[in-house]
Amino acid sequence: MDRRKFLILTGVAIGGVAIPSSVFFVSNSVKKYAVLFIERELDYLILEPGSVVKYVDEYFTQTNNLLERVKWKAMYYLHVGWQKSDQILELIKYYLLSSDFFINKMDESKMVKYLGLYSPYKSPVPNPFAYTLHPPSEIKNG
Amino acid sequence: MKRAHYDLVVVGTGFASSFFLKKYLSKAKPDQKILVLERGHFYPHEERLKAKRKEPTDYQKYEEPWEKAINNHSTYKKWPFTTGLGGCSNCWWGCTPRFMPNDFKMKTLYGIGEDWPIDYDDLDAYYYEAEDLMHVSGPEGTPFPRVGKYPLPAHEFSVVDKILHRKYGNQYISQPTARASRSTVGRNRCMTSSTCDTCPVNAKFTIENSNLGVYEDERVELVYGAQVYSLEFVGDMVKKVYFKQEGKEQSIGGEVIVLGANPFFNTNILQNAGDQNPFVGKGVGEQLGVQVLIYLDNMSNAGGSTWVNANGYMLYDGDHRKDFAACLMEVSNAPYYIRLERGKYLNIASFRLLFEDIPLDDNYVKHTANKFVPDVFHTKRSDYTFKALDNMKQKLPDILSCLPVEKLKFLDPFPNEGHIIGGTRMSADPKLGVVDKYMIHHQYRNLFVLGAGAFTTYSASNPTLTLSAMSLFAADKVF
Repeated sequence: MDRRKFLILTGVAIGGVAIPSSVFFVSNSVKKYAVLFIERELDYLILEPGSVVKYVDEYFTQTNNLLERVKWKAMYYLHVGWQKSDQILELIKYYLLSSDFFINKMDESKMVKYLGLYSPYKSPVPNPFAYTLHPPSEIKNG
Repeated sequence: MKRAHYDLVVVGTGFASSFFLKKYLSKAKPDQKILVLERGHFYPHEERLKAKRKEPTDYQKYEEPWEKAINNHSTYKKWPFTTGLGGCSNCWWGCTPRFMPNDFKMKTLYGIGEDWPIDYDDLDAYYYEAEDLMHVSGPEGTPFPRVGKYPLPAHEFSVVDKILHRKYGNQYISQPTARASRSTVGRNRCMTSSTCDTCPVNAKFTIENSNLGVYEDERVELVYGAQVYSLEFVGDMVKKVYFKQEGKEQSIGGEVIVLGANPFFNTNILQNAGDQNPFVGKGVGEQLGVQVLIYLDNMSNAGGSTWVNANGYMLYDGDHRKDFAACLMEVSNAPYYIRLERGKYLNIASFRLLFEDIPLDDNYVKHTANKFVPDVFHTKRSDYTFKALDNMKQKLPDILSCLPVEKLKFLDPFPNEGHIIGGTRMSADPKLGVVDKYMIHHQYRNLFVLGAGAFTTYSASNPTLTLSAMSLFAADKVF
């Protein structure tokens, strides 16, 4: 996810345009494969039941790349991973940023709960790198 | 308008105008009458936040897309800017390094471009003043000459910052920034959201939260929705300012006129007025920005307390500038650069590398039949800049050799840096520029043309602090 895409997702891109909600219609099939992608890529984490579905529902109301979506089923069965698809990379990154995963200091033993789409203007999730989660006293000298 | 004639007529309410007024008002007599014409409106930060949260706000009608305000003829450049009270203080990201002393002497030292008619020492006192007014956070020990503490303490380093600072000393510093490291008057502490254009917690300096007091001053009359498009020249003086407000074309007289719009519109106003100076509109541009992602082997880069934690100067100054451009490193920890490999989520650093460019005649602003909307042409970057990009790619692995680098990934150049520079360049010789060292037009001696448009050369550093200091300097020396 580059900065520009991030800004679009968080609704802060300069000169953004309003997009009618009808444009955001995504078939259940596409959403199904988006959920499967997340569950497969993060199979080592304990994902709260139902939370990925809720995330995917809300994620697709915020993005507008329809052309790429139709390929998702094929990508899933071809075992394309996030390493080869920016779309999948963004989907999964944004899922982690929208969850309590970083608040819990990336503790894989804790269940990952969806907290609402990541937004510096609305969500409780801070920057995963920053002092709010990693105070200066915890930062080693390298 | 309360009057037909004013002592001072100011166009725009961004950094250039506001800092100029701050100094001017401190010296002006109590009976001075000042008119400020702002093309936009007051769109409070609180209302901007509502828009970001997708909540209803009546103020959203005041958002003016930059794409409609100019005709951008470049295929690869974007020029985002904001109109309304505070201008681009509403969309800047708050980076406030000073220029390096050698930035002002590019011709003498390196044979590039022209020397500025002012130097670092001329601006030094005004840098301090601008830093105080912005409550800049920064470190002791900088690559540019500066004594003492910044108004606010430096931001915290990340792990990578600590290692690089240990190796490079004051060539790698916590970035001086107007994103507050501590709560201060009218502003909260930065939360590293990395969406600084509209700061979610109001930590960034803006004209709205500045407490400068200029637009509340009884001597100042501020008029919104007044789009200035031309001037009336009589001999070598400006007599009137032409503007449109609520669909009606009007004019107003002034003893002294100050153009503090952005460089596109300062240029447009001069060209519409018939200014024949051949440099008006020429050489507009900005730095070239490139991002490199630094994947770290078994090292988390946690920490940091703002969007850009640090600036690196290891490729900035030196004799290489005879051949290729200076490069300023901006080191950030933004959420969008997390990794997805299991256990490596924070094992990454990101550098935004800013390369200076030089003013080229191929890049210019030209007024059009629509007197409100200028054409903007940016057709090329200099070889001077591209050579620096190549050099950086060669040198960076060695510079980063103190880090466990897994791989480097260079991203495509950004289409904009949010810095609009040039168009009314400053010069000692009237034959080589538009304005003099005080940003007074070489021909029209009651006309100031402020802002980054007056930069003689671009520097690799972010322009806002310097253009603000220049406004303080000009108003202090002239009045």
